[in-house]
Amino acid sequence: MDFRIDMSNGQPVGIASLDGRLDAENCGDLQTFCQSWLKETSRLVFDCTGLDFLDSSGLGTIVSCLRKSLEQDGDLKLAALSPQVSMVFELTKARKLFSIFPDADNAVRSYASGDKA
Amino acid sequence: MKTLIVIREKDYGWLSPFFPGVNPLVMPVCNKPFIEFLIDFSILAGSSAIRIISDGPLNEVERYCEDGSRWGVDVSYASILGNDSIETVIEKNRKYCADQRLLIISGYLFIRYENRQELRHCFAMASGGTLAENERGSIVLAGTPEITGQLPAATPFSLVEFDSIDNYFRLSAEILKEYPSPYVLPGYCNEPDCHIGRNVVIGKGAEIRKPVIIGNNVQIMKGAVVGPSAVVGSNVIIDRESTVSRSILLDNTYIGEQLEVVDRIAAGNILVDPRSGVSIAMEDPHLLSSLPGSAHIGSGLFRYLFHAIVALLLILLLSLPYLMLVPLLKIQGKWKTGSFTFHDIRQGKNLRFVMPSIADEGGIGSLAKALSLDRFPMLFRALAGTIAVIGSFPVEVSHRLEAGYAATGYRPAVFSYAEAEDWPVNAEDSAIVEQFYAAHGSPVRDMVLTIKAFLNRIHSKVQ
Repeated sequence: MDFRIDMSNGQPVGIASLDGRLDAENCGDLQTFCQSWLKETSRLVFDCTGLDFLDSSGLGTIVSCLRKSLEQDGDLKLAALSPQVSMVFELTKARKLFSIFPDADNAVRSYASGDKA
Repeated sequence: MKTLIVIREKDYGWLSPFFPGVNPLVMPVCNKPFIEFLIDFSILAGSSAIRIISDGPLNEVERYCEDGSRWGVDVSYASILGNDSIETVIEKNRKYCADQRLLIISGYLFIRYENRQELRHCFAMASGGTLAENERGSIVLAGTPEITGQLPAATPFSLVEFDSIDNYFRLSAEILKEYPSPYVLPGYCNEPDCHIGRNVVIGKGAEIRKPVIIGNNVQIMKGAVVGPSAVVGSNVIIDRESTVSRSILLDNTYIGEQLEVVDRIAAGNILVDPRSGVSIAMEDPHLLSSLPGSAHIGSGLFRYLFHAIVALLLILLLSLPYLMLVPLLKIQGKWKTGSFTFHDIRQGKNLRFVMPSIADEGGIGSLAKALSLDRFPMLFRALAGTIAVIGSFPVEVSHRLEAGYAATGYRPAVFSYAEAEDWPVNAEDSAIVEQFYAAHGSPVRDMVLTIKAFLNRIHSKVQ
């Protein structure tokens, strides 16, 4: 999971790239990483371009990351969901919780403009 | 008149990738196998004999249609090579085709018609030739007209595009909306747009919104919303507070709690977006999964054998304590027996048997209960295959119906999954555990859970 800080809006936005599978086996790693990312910024974007598979454990972890960022007056926005991953969000109604953008750049820009997807 | 239905594997190649385990010829359209729509059409056109011909597997079709006696026609089957032309097919079946007019339905076609009465009349008067065709196939009639008269200006049927998952989805929705439907759809229907199958349990607060068609052995749990425009197959569980609308759930599908299935097709653990054609195989059984095709314990010989072996081992283990302790309990008046009626799923009837109970105050009573001696007589039932070793604890028939137990997953057994998980044994809570394991059970898992259930009873008495 790569993580970088984008300062293009004048405020730090953390972009994490999720790859491969996010399931019960590795969702603990995301939980741990997220805690360290939130120390740098509470405005997060998860770039899901490379995310192929998500199960309910992975989804629960992403929701948990959202909750933690909201607790710190930040947000967690999602970008570039594959159709398969998007179906999991729709099936579980989790789509309503997140702002979802077609790509990471749009998600980052939305922090400056205050846009909701 | 006789009918030849000729369908090649290449005709339905578009469907197979989405539902690999389903034979497209018996793929349900509004809960009715596809082939039955063609059989209905042939009968309405005046056929008394139908031959189904394919280069693909016909086993499931044969199993479903048998000899056609349920429709009052003769149904037979034949195989061809994939590249055989219609002329070759007729030549190969010349004996069948020889003596009567012949209707040839070629291709994986869905035939739309509105007026059933007009069909027979039209076919009786029509002279030979191609009556309808599209890129996917044709309807051809051979032979001389049976009667003379004025043919209607337009044929009273047409071919519907049926060559993509989106078309399949739209067609199901259209058929569901039509009232009165020209097609005979399965299920009980005493009001427009609503067909309900047998053994459908609708939980408290669940909503059914028309139009809807629901198959057999379906459990719609508390707070779930089904419809509008929902096609729910047979042997389906829609768990608590989930919504299924504008969607198709094929047979043997479990929909987890608090999910929203809208504009989707679900088949087992596969979820399809019909508009984009994107599909996903869910690996998470709590969201979406396959249910076993049949709940009865004899559905697999292996499973039955496993349960019988475990029952035999427990009988051998408990025989000596049973012979030693039960006479003492009887003398003390702590061994009581009661008559009990439960539904035997394998035989499909109610069975009555005597079931003991132990008053467990005192050493011997507690010991006997810890060793599950009150379940000892039931082990013989498990050995005979009447009940399972582990499953749902048999519930008195009257209570079972009241509690909405008459649903998918109920499998009477010596020990219950709820006991194995040390779950509070009350109707509603234990049903959740039982349904889960009914959906996801396996012989190995059953073995582990049987041991757990047995040990849990000992443990609860030791504490």
